This record gives sequence, C-alpha cells and structure tokens, in this order.
Amino acid sequence: MLEIKNLYGGYGDTDILKDINISIKKGSFCGLIGRNGAGKSALLKTICSLLKPSKGEIFIDGQNTAALSKIDLAKKIAFMPQTLEPSFDFTVKEFLTFARFPYMGIFKIPSKKDDEAIDKILDFMDLKNFAQKSINELSGGERQKVSIAQIIAQDADILIFDEPTAHLDIGAQYAILQILKDLNENLCKTIIASLHDLNSAGEFCKELILLDDGQIKKHGSAEEVLNYQDIEEAYQTRVIVKTNPISNKPYVIPVIIP
Amino acid sequence: MKSKILFIYICLPLSLAVVFVFSLISGSSDISFIEVFKSLFSDGISDNALIIKSIRLPRIIMAMTVGAGLAVSGCIFQAVLKNPLAEPFTLGISGGASFGAAIAFVFGLASNLFVLPLFAFSGSLLAVFIVYILSMKKRFDSNSMLLSGVIISYVFSSAVMLLFAISDASRMQAAFMWMIGNFSSFDERLLPMVALINISGVIILCLIANIINVISMGSDKSKSLGLNVNAAIKIVFIIASFIAAASASACGVIGFVGLMSPHIMRRFVGANHIYLIPSSALFGAIFLPFCDTISRIIAAPVILPVGVITNMAGGVFFITLLLKGRNNA
Repeated sequence: MLEIKNLYGGYGDTDILKDINISIKKGSFCGLIGRNGAGKSALLKTICSLLKPSKGEIFIDGQNTAALSKIDLAKKIAFMPQTLEPSFDFTVKEFLTFARFPYMGIFKIPSKKDDEAIDKILDFMDLKNFAQKSINELSGGERQKVSIAQIIAQDADILIFDEPTAHLDIGAQYAILQILKDLNENLCKTIIASLHDLNSAGEFCKELILLDDGQIKKHGSAEEVLNYQDIEEAYQTRVIVKTNPISNKPYVIPVIIP
Repeated sequence: MKSKILFIYICLPLSLAVVFVFSLISGSSDISFIEVFKSLFSDGISDNALIIKSIRLPRIIMAMTVGAGLAVSGCIFQAVLKNPLAEPFTLGISGGASFGAAIAFVFGLASNLFVLPLFAFSGSLLAVFIVYILSMKKRFDSNSMLLSGVIISYVFSSAVMLLFAISDASRMQAAFMWMIGNFSSFDERLLPMVALINISGVIILCLIANIINVISMGSDKSKSLGLNVNAAIKIVFIIASFIAAASASACGVIGFVGLMSPHIMRRFVGANHIYLIPSSALFGAIFLPFCDTISRIIAAPVILPVGVITNMAGGVFFITLLLKGRNNA
C-alpha cells in the first residue's frame, strides 16, 4: 500500500507538484498519464526519494519513507529511469548484478545467492543468450527489457517505471507492457508507470491517474479517467473516445476539426 | 570470458616481474644480471651495489607506484564522471601541480627537493578544491566538473606562462624539465610517502570497486539502489585526487598513463571495475617503469624525461585506436 499525503515538490525551488493525495493498493497496476511537463516524472522521482518533497509525506505500508534508510527503501521500491544513461560496456549479467547492491555486504561483493537470483531472472526474461553481451550493443527494445530485468533483480515490492515504452515501436511497446502485466499478475508486484500512449494505458492498467499541471485531475478506472472532457482539458486537444470492441476498454483518438 | 580475465591476471604480474628485472639491469653503467642480484642481496657497498640499491631500485619502485596510482585515478575519474576523457590532466590536477611547482622554481625554493613536491602537491589540491567548489552548485554533474577542470587547467597554465615570462632562463629550464615529468631528481625521502598514499589509495579503491560500478550508472539509478551517491562520489573523488596529487608532486606531470591504462584494460577485462581497477593498476605499474627505463637507455648517457616517452606512446596508441575504430564502423 502506497499513500501520498499533501505532497508538494519539484526539481528546484518552485513546486511543480501541488497537493498530491493518492493511495495505491498493493498489487495494483497504475498508469500515470498527462501532458509533457505535467509533473509525471517529478511525481515518480519524488515517490522514490530521488527528489525531496518540499511538503507532504509518503507512506509505504504505513511507514514514512523519509524515516527509512536508503538501503531499506531500495529493498521496497525500485525505479527505472526513462533512458538508460550511456555507460561503459558492462555485460548484461554484470548490469543486472548491480541491482543486488542493497543486499550486498560492506564491500559490496556479489554473493552466490545474488548470482543465482540473476540467473533465474535471465531465464524468466528470456535473456539467457544475452548474458555476456554488452549493454551498449542492444537494440532499444532489448535495452528496455534488460532495464526491466534489472528492476526485477532489485527484488522490491513496488516497481516504478518512467515511460517504459518511450521510443519503441508498437510491437516492442506491447511486449514491454505485457512483461509489466506478468510482473503484476504473477509476481504480485505493485506497478506504477507513466505512459504517453493512452490506449495501451487503458488496455493494460488496473487504474489510471491523470495529472494536469502538477495536480491530480482524475484517478480511477480506465472508463472513468478516459472521458473526452477530462482528456481534452488535460491535453488541450480535441479527441473522441470510443470503446474497443474486443476488450471493451475505452480508446482515444485525437481529431482535427476542419 | 572468465578465462580471458584469468589469463590477463597471470600475464600482468609476470610482465611486472620482467619489467622490474629489465629496469634493474638496464642503464648507462653496465651491470650484469648476476651482479645485480648479488648486490641486491648483499650488504656490500661496492659501486654496483650502490647504483642498484640507492639509484635504480628506488627509481623503479617510485615509477611503479606512480604508474599504478595514475592509472587507477584515471580509471576512477572516468567512472565517476562517466566520461572516457577524464583523467588527472583534464580535471586540472596536473595543471595545479605545474602551477605550484612553477612558483617554487621561480622563487628559487626548488633547490630544496622537499619544498618543490610540497608546492606541487598543494597546487594540485588547490585545483581539486576549486573544481569541487565550482561543481558543487551543479550537484557534481559530470559535464560541469569536467568543464571546470578544463577551465582551471587553462587558468593555471597561463599563470605558469606568466611566471615564466617574468623569471630568468636558467630557472625556466629546470621548471620545464620538471613539468614534462621525470624520475631523475626526486628526493628519496618522498618515496615512502608517495608509496603509502598511492598503495593504500589503490587498495581502498579496489575494495570498493562495486560501489564505483554503481556510481557509473548515473545518479538516479545509483540513488534508487540505496547508495548515498553524493557522499560516495566525494570520498572516491578525494582518494583519487590525493593519489594523482602525490604522484604529480613526486615526478611532475606524466601524461597519458591515467587516460590510457583504463582504456587498454577495458578491452581485455571489460568494464566491470572489480576487474578493471586492479588490472589498470598493474598495467600502470608495468608501463611507467618500462617507459622510464627506455628513457634512460634510448639516448644514453642523456636521460630523456619519461613524460616525453609516455606522451609519444600515448599519441601512437590513440591514433591506432582511432583508425581501428573507423574500420569497425
């Protein structure tokens, strides 16, 4: 259970986020949507304590995150940044091993247990053949998959993804979202992901949060959030909302009024 | 993959031993291999024993510790700044050492072989301090650190030019020789101090290699893995700076070792700092005494500054790297 109370915050001295109050149940798959600059990344980073809130509190299972040590927090909540920063030629396996950092001893030497955990994840993510490949040789989709594998290796209950499907083709997008769905349904992880594609957000997420100008405009099921009034206001674009005949979920198409 | 790393780790210590012996027996006075070992383990005070024990041996050990230190500090700066061009030189540390040394030379304090390193050491720490202050506001963002390092280098090098312009030529010559970097004139009392700083620094950095791995992934990622990034960067940066400053204070500005060693080793053992840091240290400890010995014998009896040799080797190395990279593309 993740609870955010009266949260204000942002990157510098000015608050982007204003009076955020959310509670997300354990085992939810929550999609965060909103315009560029609405504060999606800022909110996700504040939840992970990468940004310090100027006011307000965040609770995980009733514990205030500000009172947790960095290591303890890293065992509860994992964060996947929007892009993998360009880095040295680590192999995929080495890269995944870094996620075991919170569990390593004082000299941070990976143990046999860490090694086994990584092998399991390589299996689960179907990445066995990539284990000794350099992370810089991978395609965009493969990179994202490795990034997700790293998040799994951190073994936290709450997984936070900042635009996991950015810059991917629709096939790769759906593959990534399917993995998130598997993590949610089979490994019982709580997932919070910011997404730009409203339609896949509606298809995959159990609940959606629409962020507008640093405030929560709407929080609820896809049917509740994806209505044309709120979407038009939040994105300042004319849209029509229809129902997908197969899944019965809403989908959104922008329209040009001649 | 693993066997390749093992192979490298067998080759490096062997090469280190070979270079050690090679450096001991080479030189302008002709001493045979057997005599070298005789004099090394005897208490005699023959001429040969004197040359071996009090001239060649300290020089080789100094070159080894400085080589290892420079290689590791370059490796650390590249990891922390996430930039393959980072090294003591690009961070202004070498510039600071030159500036400190130039002051000592110009004001005639350099004749005391203990004052000169002190000035050079303070100069490098001053440079580190300024870079630190300048990039503190930007939260140690790697670009701003590198940029402030380059700026500091320029400022210090023009200050050095200014000092040269107003001083007389004889002092300039000595200062210039120092700045190219050489092992011909260090005070023997410096050796234990430099060795202590460099060896203990290198050992600490080898032990925390996995922390350095995590730092190199960028601050968002390393923070979310529970690392106190700012504190870790500060500590690692300070250790690497001390190593670089101690090295520069003993033997001047020796280029390319810090930049090149990690690059070469990355090709053999990969990017994982658990393997990279110790192997870079060994590479530096092999490469620098080797270059130093070459500098002693190539134009004997004239001893060239070792910096000339390392810079030439480095230049050739980077041109090859560039051409090879183009072929791959």
